Amino acid sequence: MNELDFENQIHSIAQQTNYPQTPDIAGFVTAHLQPVTKHRFFSRTLAWSLTLIVVLFLSLMLIPPARAAILEFIQIGIVRIFPRSVEPTAEAPRTATPESIAPVTAAPYLESSTLLIDLSRLAGERTLPQAQNLVASYYPILLPTHPPDLGAPDHVFVQDADGAMSILVWLDPNDPEKILMSLHIIPEGSWAIHKAEPVVIQETEVNGQRAVWAVGPYPLRLSNGDLEFMRLIDGHVLIWAVDDVTYRLESNLSMEEAIKIAESLQPVP
Amino acid sequence: MDETTLVRRAVKGDAAAWEPLVLAHQQAVFRLAYLLLGDADDAEDIAQETFLRAWKALKRFDATRPLRPWLLSIAANLSRNRRRSAGRYLAALTRAFREQPKETPLDEASAQNTDANNLWKAIQHLDLPDQQIVYLRYFLDLPVSETAEVLQIAEGTVKSRLSRALEKLRKVIHQDFPVLADRREGREA
Repeated sequence: MNELDFENQIHSIAQQTNYPQTPDIAGFVTAHLQPVTKHRFFSRTLAWSLTLIVVLFLSLMLIPPARAAILEFIQIGIVRIFPRSVEPTAEAPRTATPESIAPVTAAPYLESSTLLIDLSRLAGERTLPQAQNLVASYYPILLPTHPPDLGAPDHVFVQDADGAMSILVWLDPNDPEKILMSLHIIPEGSWAIHKAEPVVIQETEVNGQRAVWAVGPYPLRLSNGDLEFMRLIDGHVLIWAVDDVTYRLESNLSMEEAIKIAESLQPVP
Repeated sequence: MDETTLVRRAVKGDAAAWEPLVLAHQQAVFRLAYLLLGDADDAEDIAQETFLRAWKALKRFDATRPLRPWLLSIAANLSRNRRRSAGRYLAALTRAFREQPKETPLDEASAQNTDANNLWKAIQHLDLPDQQIVYLRYFLDLPVSETAEVLQIAEGTVKSRLSRALEKLRKVIHQDFPVLADRREGREA
């Protein structure tokens, strides 16, 4: 039997499949799209109790240590990593570009670095629109608007890591062998968040939320299917979280420049 | 009202516009999940989750594109994640109850249709990417272009992957499902 006959037979048999009756998906979905109905009646006592709780909560939020404890308890703004060390002096020599660790405001802007891996070895390369479609159910792909002339990433990868992890890579326009930076966007529940244990150099903030400035490898999938812990470039990584999504910006910029870029992320127009 | 108009209205938050779209595509989504998971209850959960996730992500969807490939793509991803967690659970269950018989019918309702049921079982011997492409193309009867859009690959890649998947399937049928192979050869004769 030739390939076409075989294909036709498979198609023909497949069309005879008996499926269970399709349940009322639309009814369920429509019911769950309805706005939550508001309670019409609050007793005076309940209203006063709630007011008291809110006032107490707001008061606690004005006290920095209490606020930090509350935010940590309810997991808002927590960067989902497990740092091994927070001693900057002990860990700083691990970095290959120590001058960019220090908060030097006059540091070169968007200085490129040699790629540590041939990008063609990475699995899951996509166009930006393809990647947007693939990850749309997890998160929107955000792009930096700073610096203004940065433009769209040169390479976009979407890798499966118990959730679609996006990796955006910008190359040096003057030297495609070098990389300006990479941005990893990792959804909640992905093992890519917990597998990597970067060495934290210092804690900082992105848009007022806790972030860390670190070095260290992270898991990437190669096109041959292997999973390897590596870095794309010889630099540092800024890690922060927004809602359920963790961001990892890798570059050899100063921390201040990396934060500016992180704070400039906007949805793709 | 056409699909693009309904999608545009839904993007603006019109839940009434989302319902006819769910009705139009719920069967394909449910069936793909059922084929991948082999369980109607799981497939129903996945189908519901697919449409709820799509609703939340609708603002990021290009309304000029057909909706079905995007929905099927979400359903396939969710089913794959469900299979993983189900696989871990089943592995633990198997370890705990080794003496229990492993063979259980995949679905009693479809047992009457022996050929189709045997084919389904044979396909389950393939890798997940091969299973997906076979289900989309031959079971859901999607054209090559739409299959390519669901899997986010080129149409040429769909054809080459299908060819490889069919070759593997042919071997599986000959080795493990001789009844199906004999029946096919009998039809030919």
